[in-house]
Amino acid sequence: MPVSNSLRSLLPVLILLVLFALVPLLSPSNRFLSLAISAGINVIALYGLSVLFGQTGILSMGHAALVGIGAYTAAIVARDFNVGFWLSIPLAGIMAAIVAALIGVPSLRVSGHHFVIMTFAFGQLLSIILTNGGDYTGAASGLDVQQPVALFGLSMDVLTHYYLMVVSFVALSAIASWAIINSRYGRTLRAIRENEKLAASLGINVGRHKIGAFVVSGIFAGVSGVLLAYFLRHISPSQFASFPSIYLALMVMIGGARLLLGPLAGGILVAFLPELLNLDPVQSRILYGVCLIAVILLLPNGLIAGIVAGWYRFFDRRPVQPNEPAVEREGK
Amino acid sequence: MESTLLRSASLALFLGVLTYPVLAEDAAETIKIGVVAAESGAFVSAGHTLPAGVSLAVKEINDEGGVKVGDKTYRLELLKRDDRTDISTAIAATQELVRDEKVAAIFGSETHDFTLAMAKITQPAKVLHFAGNSTLAKVLTESSVANGGEDHYLFQTEPQEFQRSGSTARGVLKLLEPLVGHPLKKSVLIVGNDATGQFLSSYYFAALKSEGQDVPDIIFYPPDTTDFSPFLTRAKSLKPDVVHFWYNGDSTLTALPQALELGVAPSYFLFGVDPGIWKEQGLSADVPVAMSCVPVCWGESSNPKAKAYFDAYFAAGAPKGVTSSVSLLYYDYVHFLAEAWEKAGSLDPDKTVEALKTLHHKGVVSDDLAFNATHQVTHATEVCAAAPGGDITCAMQEPPADAPKQ
Repeated sequence: MPVSNSLRSLLPVLILLVLFALVPLLSPSNRFLSLAISAGINVIALYGLSVLFGQTGILSMGHAALVGIGAYTAAIVARDFNVGFWLSIPLAGIMAAIVAALIGVPSLRVSGHHFVIMTFAFGQLLSIILTNGGDYTGAASGLDVQQPVALFGLSMDVLTHYYLMVVSFVALSAIASWAIINSRYGRTLRAIRENEKLAASLGINVGRHKIGAFVVSGIFAGVSGVLLAYFLRHISPSQFASFPSIYLALMVMIGGARLLLGPLAGGILVAFLPELLNLDPVQSRILYGVCLIAVILLLPNGLIAGIVAGWYRFFDRRPVQPNEPAVEREGK
Repeated sequence: MESTLLRSASLALFLGVLTYPVLAEDAAETIKIGVVAAESGAFVSAGHTLPAGVSLAVKEINDEGGVKVGDKTYRLELLKRDDRTDISTAIAATQELVRDEKVAAIFGSETHDFTLAMAKITQPAKVLHFAGNSTLAKVLTESSVANGGEDHYLFQTEPQEFQRSGSTARGVLKLLEPLVGHPLKKSVLIVGNDATGQFLSSYYFAALKSEGQDVPDIIFYPPDTTDFSPFLTRAKSLKPDVVHFWYNGDSTLTALPQALELGVAPSYFLFGVDPGIWKEQGLSADVPVAMSCVPVCWGESSNPKAKAYFDAYFAAGAPKGVTSSVSLLYYDYVHFLAEAWEKAGSLDPDKTVEALKTLHHKGVVSDDLAFNATHQVTHATEVCAAAPGGDITCAMQEPPADAPKQ
């Protein structure tokens, strides 16, 4: 596939992120920036989830637990080894990847809804472990993160700086996700998603690649956890239990997992919809439920894919090119 | 031409006269204070009491003319923000109140984790922060609250947990024993397994032990449990004289009917359930049931000031809830803060902290509210007991002077 062709899927995301990076010039409120940072941190984890769900067809309902692994790794290495933000990024990514591999090995022996249940159980298990972890995990009270964050002498404690840093991490995540999708590895994952048995008959080690996809998604989640820990400065097990995991799955399903714009749209929608419509949590959940049903029935590949498909249907009736990657075809 | 000018001038004068009071009122100086609480979501039961209590105090202060600081009088402006029981929203609300609205003080939240994360924003910004989480004892130390310390502007409006647990345990046993008719020797705790539950149970366990109780087990249940039968069956097997349900009020009210049906113990204690709810919901039991309030009960109280407070509180539109009394962990401290500003003669946060530490405030909960060296208050807790016939008796129980030896 030509690089220029595949870049067409990345370019809108990068343009959008450049526009987001310009938002501080409009002097937004700190409330907006704070919510945008939270949304951005979720989007990073969603890019990992989109590799797992969108490319491999495996849905994890315990993804917030992997974010928690990243967050707790950052907090513990900061407390015990005085390791700062930047070094904790790779450490947390590796740790979340290792945990993903450990869960993946037994969990991926099963497939479909059994795997979903296994990941959900893992999320609950982690929450229980953290809650009962004594002083090491801070038990149910959680842990503080005291280390300052700076880049080239610039303090990231300023909300605008932290916002721009999160936007940069979202851009890196989108690029990484794009690189995976458009690599030979990505095509292998899609082959597994479309037909596991056929893929295996072609010599693809299905189990190993599925675990690999889970590990890759774990790296994204781990990085997202570090950003969350350093943003909130205090983490506790309840932040990584079942509900946050369900929300992550909801975001990726509403936005769409197969297009690069999907995780971005899902993360932003779920973060800002209650704010814009002034909905309380009960109303929000009803709305998300309705959205999810509507997306599943009407736009099975997510909101963005549905919008892109609608766009082509109305303005450009050209046929789908057979050599276009699946990720682009889905949107047309 | 002259006529037009004259008409214009008259109109301008007329509009000026009309708008003068409005402009004058706008020009009056205000102190902004914020509340961050769960007005929706899972913690709404306790959450809605915060803005209700603070609103009432703000209204009373403004109705009395405002806060006199030095030679200026300020009105209080209350900014309420719903955290939707979501930490991201709580943080966004705190960022907005501290950085955009420039509030002088923040009250909330009722959730331990949220409060700690909020304090990371309020404290560097020198915003006075009041929260009724007894779990704050974990961070409020002499060094952290010292001048320049990381929690210098953070105040705990609930007594230290050894005090609250101590007075509660003593009051519960004292009220239940005559109703049960024999000495109470063995207690079992059933506790929600979250940050607050873990923290509280360790203190309550020690408090019961110091009252001479045999406490063979603390049984933890996962938050949001609705079927308590496995935990209750385990409790029954231990043959307790009292089963103590800690916390929270909503879960406790779900667990009690199941416990009564299973006949787990000859008496029960429900932490944080007001006798008002007991009466409003027409609850009954064939065994004595003790209840405690945080800190004073609204349904039945031995505190002389409680009735007037709760009459005003409910008249202002606040709903009658299991934890309505939690509002007192905030109401009193708005008045306390106003008194501190007046005493300090300044809105400077450092001077206000000094005033808060030296003042003795007459509140509803106590006639002598004061913060100790680690920014925590001390006061009694009210405990009530419902006899099988339905009669309810209440008593304010003073806290122990010292923490029991572990």
